[in-house]
Amino acid sequence: MNADRSEPRASARAAMAAFIDALRRRLRDFESRASLPQELEQTVRQVVASDDLPTRFTQAATSVGLEVHPASPTDWMDLIGDILRKHDAHSVVVQLDTDSPLGKRAATELGNRLTADGFAPTTALDDETLFSADAAITSVAAAIAETGTIVCTSGPGLARGASLLPPVHVAIVQTSQLVPDQCDYFDQLAGQAGLPANINLITGPSKTADIEGILVTGVHGPRHVHVVLVSP
Amino acid sequence: MSTPTAFRQRVCEAVADERVVRAVHLATWHKMEARAESMRQLRDPEAIRELAAQIKQHTLENLPHYLEQFVAQVERSGGCVHFAADADTARRIICDIAAAHGTKLAVKAKSMTSEEIHLNDALEAAGVRTVETDLGEFIVQIDHDRPSHIVTPIIHKDRQQIARALVRETGCEYTEDAEELTAIARRYLRDIFRRCDLGITGVNFGVAESGTLCICTNEGNGRMSSTRPRVHVALMGIEKLVPRLRDLPVFLKLLARSSTGQPLTVYTTLVTGPKRVDDPDGPEELHVVLLDNGRSELLTGEFAEVLRCIRCGACLNACPVYRNIGGHAYGSVYPGPIGSLVTPLLQGLDEHAELPRASSLCGACQVVCPVKIDIPGLLVRLRVRTRRSQPLLKRAAIRLWKWMMKSPTRYAWVQWCLSRLLPDCRDGWSRGGPGPLGAWTHCRDLPIPPKQSFRKLWRERLSDER
Repeated sequence: MNADRSEPRASARAAMAAFIDALRRRLRDFESRASLPQELEQTVRQVVASDDLPTRFTQAATSVGLEVHPASPTDWMDLIGDILRKHDAHSVVVQLDTDSPLGKRAATELGNRLTADGFAPTTALDDETLFSADAAITSVAAAIAETGTIVCTSGPGLARGASLLPPVHVAIVQTSQLVPDQCDYFDQLAGQAGLPANINLITGPSKTADIEGILVTGVHGPRHVHVVLVSP
Repeated sequence: MSTPTAFRQRVCEAVADERVVRAVHLATWHKMEARAESMRQLRDPEAIRELAAQIKQHTLENLPHYLEQFVAQVERSGGCVHFAADADTARRIICDIAAAHGTKLAVKAKSMTSEEIHLNDALEAAGVRTVETDLGEFIVQIDHDRPSHIVTPIIHKDRQQIARALVRETGCEYTEDAEELTAIARRYLRDIFRRCDLGITGVNFGVAESGTLCICTNEGNGRMSSTRPRVHVALMGIEKLVPRLRDLPVFLKLLARSSTGQPLTVYTTLVTGPKRVDDPDGPEELHVVLLDNGRSELLTGEFAEVLRCIRCGACLNACPVYRNIGGHAYGSVYPGPIGSLVTPLLQGLDEHAELPRASSLCGACQVVCPVKIDIPGLLVRLRVRTRRSQPLLKRAAIRLWKWMMKSPTRYAWVQWCLSRLLPDCRDGWSRGGPGPLGAWTHCRDLPIPPKQSFRKLWRERLSDER
């Protein structure tokens, strides 16, 4: 932070602290009646680990407009090719997290395969690329079976724009990444040492019903979201 | 600012516009059905509502603690927190941030709080072009209109009006196809997103333990506005806090269901600080503006629970008054049952004394409220506060009523009088009548009393049996 901005920051901090102090004085004689509930899970949880998570995920995801493609470790790349052809996509952003269960070499292998199949894959994440790409292929940080949600986070080599700007988003989910319920995902986050700056729980293609209640997809984000669900 | 007569005028105009009444009816019924359907997916929705209410109430009662924790965590993650005691301060803080970065073009995600402080006017006056990017709010902005629902702002507009507004603003070809209209807006706003240098969003939940902002949108306007520009300003009321990350599922499972009947909004975005050094994209600066604007005054009083509100809009859809008069008639930023509480409480009871009366107290709002706010009960308590401003005639009438109800003879006599006084209309309802009776029946449906009163029937039956 440069010098000319440190002064407003200090005064902002002082104003905040003064308000909290005043509030504390005001609430001093006020007796708090509501305690913070500790047991949330047994009330809130809808899906448990022993449920059939891939089936549950597929049902929930399909009902919110995601297209789920079951795949195996040997055919997932073929499926991606089919999806891209279906949308006439040529330029494709490939953004696979090296930490994902797909493995470190997956991005290179997929890139080579797509090039061989006549697509134009790129790992560039600059504005020009993201705004003009026909599709993006990304890994996910997790997926939630309860709601059919895929989770994309920011991080080194992970642009927020990849799952947002191109009109088609293909997410690769390993069944091992499925968590049963939102409770599980947020518990996982709470136990994490530091959170990524940006986490997106994506539950369907970008949509609106602002015009006479008619459902239209692809407002700002992708119009089509495909999930390639890879079982071991 | 509105007088009771102005309110009455607005209501009369609203109910006369059959096209709008029909549109609002259709949309709200649809959303009510979708809500009921999606709530049934939960194992015990009642218990989750109870939890949500308790977590919010606890947070409010211990707000200094959670505010302190939240502020420390936002700063730890590299964000900057500003405090705005009132709307004027909030506008100044945001305009200063814009000026410090030489902002020319700002984008805005949908935010009711920014409507509350009339932010756009202030930014435009400071020379910053500010573009709403939620499709509904964008149409409102280019049509110089006002939102009429807190979730679906153009619930009152048909596609012809939307098409005309888009043609005027973007120079596109006229079309009434919803998909094409959306595509036109997408293209237009894409260009804006590429060039903008400041993004403004609201906040659905602020997590105290991690300093995380949770922003829920369906279109992606929240994601765009917090991803594309160099600077992200998040405006939130101080009541938006929840203590822990694991509290979020409690609210997320209720919010979208209550709003639109979805299990979750399409995008649930969790922002913890600005872009990290290694992140390929994202804003370099994050400013969180915490707005009081009258909220802290309510914390220790009998109306504290209105601060639990998560702005889902379910009470609007459930309200028979809202469904008939639409959002504009309320003349306030927050319409509907919750607006009839929040507006007078935050902006002054004198200017909005008529709003707590814009309710039949049927209780539908309370039944659907995800955080169990006793809206009808609070409306009555708010009415009590304006008691002194009741017209003399009404007070006299109520005293007369009390006197009449205390004696069976007097009750029977008044009943007999009324059955003669009320004009008989062909449609089975009483309209008109002398003096104040005419005013009363003007906007209420009073069935024509039967020729024989129940008391008379009862007496005759009794004598038969004897």
